[in-house]
Amino acid sequence: MKGIWIAVAAIVVAAVVVGGAAGYVLMTEDDEVESLRLATTTSTYDSGLLDYILPVFENETNCKIDVIAVGSGQAIELGKNGDVDVLLVHSPAAEKDFVAAGYGESRTLVMYNNFVIVGPSADPLNTENAKNASEAFQKIYDNGTAGLAKFVSRADNSGTHSKELTVWSTLGYNKTLVAAFPSSWYIQSGQGMGAVLDMCEELDAYTLSDDATYYQRMDENIIPHLNMTYSGDSALFNQYSVIPVNSTIHAHVNHTLAAAFKNWLVSEAGQDLIASYEKYGHQLFFPNATPQTARVASLLIDESMDVGEGVTRGWNSFRVLRWTDSFPFHAVH
Amino acid sequence: MISTGSELLDVTLLSLYVSGMATILGSAIGIPLGALIGLKEFGGKGAVKTLTYTLYGFPPVLSGLVVYYVFSRAGPLGDLGILFTPTAMIIAETFLVIPLVTGITITSVVEVDRSIKDTVKALGASSSQSIVTVMREAWVGLVMACMIGFGRVIAEVGAAYLVGGNIDGETRVLTTAIMLETRMGHFEWAMSLGIVLLSVALMVFLFLRLLQEREML
Amino acid sequence: MKPAICLEGVSKKYDQIVALRDASFTVSKGEVFGIVGPSGAGKSTILRIVDLLEAPTEGKLLIDGQYVVANSVRAEAVRRKIGMVLQKPVVLNRSVANNLGYSLMIRGWNEDRIAEVVDAELRRLGLNGRRKTNARNLSGGEMQRLCFARAAIHDPSILLLDEFAANLDPTNVALLENQVQEFIRKDPNRTVVIVTHNMFQAKRMCTRIALIWDGEIVEIADRKKFFESPDDARTAAFVGGESIY
Repeated sequence: MKGIWIAVAAIVVAAVVVGGAAGYVLMTEDDEVESLRLATTTSTYDSGLLDYILPVFENETNCKIDVIAVGSGQAIELGKNGDVDVLLVHSPAAEKDFVAAGYGESRTLVMYNNFVIVGPSADPLNTENAKNASEAFQKIYDNGTAGLAKFVSRADNSGTHSKELTVWSTLGYNKTLVAAFPSSWYIQSGQGMGAVLDMCEELDAYTLSDDATYYQRMDENIIPHLNMTYSGDSALFNQYSVIPVNSTIHAHVNHTLAAAFKNWLVSEAGQDLIASYEKYGHQLFFPNATPQTARVASLLIDESMDVGEGVTRGWNSFRVLRWTDSFPFHAVH
Repeated sequence: MISTGSELLDVTLLSLYVSGMATILGSAIGIPLGALIGLKEFGGKGAVKTLTYTLYGFPPVLSGLVVYYVFSRAGPLGDLGILFTPTAMIIAETFLVIPLVTGITITSVVEVDRSIKDTVKALGASSSQSIVTVMREAWVGLVMACMIGFGRVIAEVGAAYLVGGNIDGETRVLTTAIMLETRMGHFEWAMSLGIVLLSVALMVFLFLRLLQEREML
Repeated sequence: MKPAICLEGVSKKYDQIVALRDASFTVSKGEVFGIVGPSGAGKSTILRIVDLLEAPTEGKLLIDGQYVVANSVRAEAVRRKIGMVLQKPVVLNRSVANNLGYSLMIRGWNEDRIAEVVDAELRRLGLNGRRKTNARNLSGGEMQRLCFARAAIHDPSILLLDEFAANLDPTNVALLENQVQEFIRKDPNRTVVIVTHNMFQAKRMCTRIALIWDGEIVEIADRKKFFESPDDARTAAFVGGESIY
């Protein structure tokens, strides 16, 4: 009797473990093909962009890309420690530090999307008619302190959060001052973008969101009482860059494949593929790596938007940029 | 995203594999350790017990962070290259199992009646034989220790995400999949995965209960 | 007669409480030695020391003429020749048969031999039909008889019984006392020590009796002398008082 029981126990335990192991082996049986570890932000992954474009590259080069989708800060940390081969992130200041410190080989612009202000559908503050993002924020601040509006901040050091701080800084509020805004109207959530939008839906509050997450939440009817109340300020561009990890610091990284991936992303084929990704009836990411389509925009963004000054024209204007040989470039409306 | 049945099966099997291995390893360490602490007299025993119970509250993310730093390329064991593999997840989760199993084992063997320990000794058992017998008398508690350990890791997401990376087809387990679907706003789908997770846990617990309730004849 | 157990000036203290003071006596082979006295007098302490479960604070213990120290490696070997039934009958959470076999199993007997001996013992106890029952489901009397049989099954040369028939009905008491008598009759080199507060039982079974009072041995005498003409007034009082019931 005892023997039978021990046998049954052993068989079940073995079945669980062997079954799991077998499943794991099946899942990794394609390990003979080269693999590339890509650390990226949740926005590129959760929006479905990577699932859309990566299989093409994987088939072309017969490789497998392991995507690790985390916050920008964490992605850059993984790169510093050499735990991934390449980064696709959107945190320009941190990226520049990363490359300057020698961890990244080079920073190449790939694409951008937009931050927008999202608020109650009725837009009680009329941010829609603001001249620029700063003015919209001023309205939120004034009404907030008067007890007439609320704002939910990511407050998590994410790319979105730092963009929000950049806008506040144009109004003279630095990081410390913003953190001291009264919680009666300025809610520092520490949550991800989707969760913050869900909070706004509940609280009738405004927030700064990336448009991909907004469209996706709208499309699935999760935030029926919200609307995009302001968009179009190029100060709200969200620039994504690709950075292969420096193989002189971390010799084990797959540099060849990382470089191939970078080159493919900025190639015409890669850029076209990014541009063709639509969801919820909108193009989510705008390629700006090649001179023909968006070189001007990328330069302007690279040089000016990171410090939050200068460019305040509507982002639509960049779609009809004309390439000229003279500098400064200027946009044609 | 999990979109096919075979993907769901893979993710479920990997969850079972990682949690099962972590429970087995954690119990293999925790049960002898708990027996040692519970049955031997030594100085500082109270402090050791308090420390064990305190570690019940060890945050999974912290365990993940420690394992990350050890197995990161920049860390001491980086050359093994096991970061972002199920192995790293098992290691991180084993650390979460050990204090629970150790603590519950201590309680279980201490609660075996003093008179049973005396009887066993009086019947002529050597000290190692009496430890084995006392452990067998504590059987219900020991299986309970394994159940609680398994329950903790199958439901854990922080460490699994940090050292596994939630890589599709590689290190995605049920909890990290639930987190991803939630982040994407797919609440219903996330909920369904939660039900899968609970069903899997239910099956494992039913088996362990069977093991626990039978009389050791 | 050869000495089986010998205590020389044995004392035992628990913290500051003296449980046993300067006890010295010898029990020879073939004897059924009784230890009587009021509750808390130190009767059980003597048995626990003899079974090497506890080390005396002072004094020496000799088993079969050999000096033994509790918790030593030799103590484990010596204890294997002793069978002890504790005051409270404790069965292990396993079947009746496996409870009986436990004593043999830990002594390294092979399985066939264990099965054979356990089988015979089960029949003798009249528990053969319940061999697979969990021992915890036995009645109090059955449990106590099982505990006795378990302690004696490996053929010990010394049997220590602590209130082995307390709280039992007369039938079960008679059955158990018979088992003890049988045990001692089988081999003249065997020794039994009985701790009891039941004077009738001591009178029925023991060849020699010691009265212990407040941690001290007051008197040791043959059965006849102990009950009919004790030296110590306390013995007379105890025997008289207890005799009432």
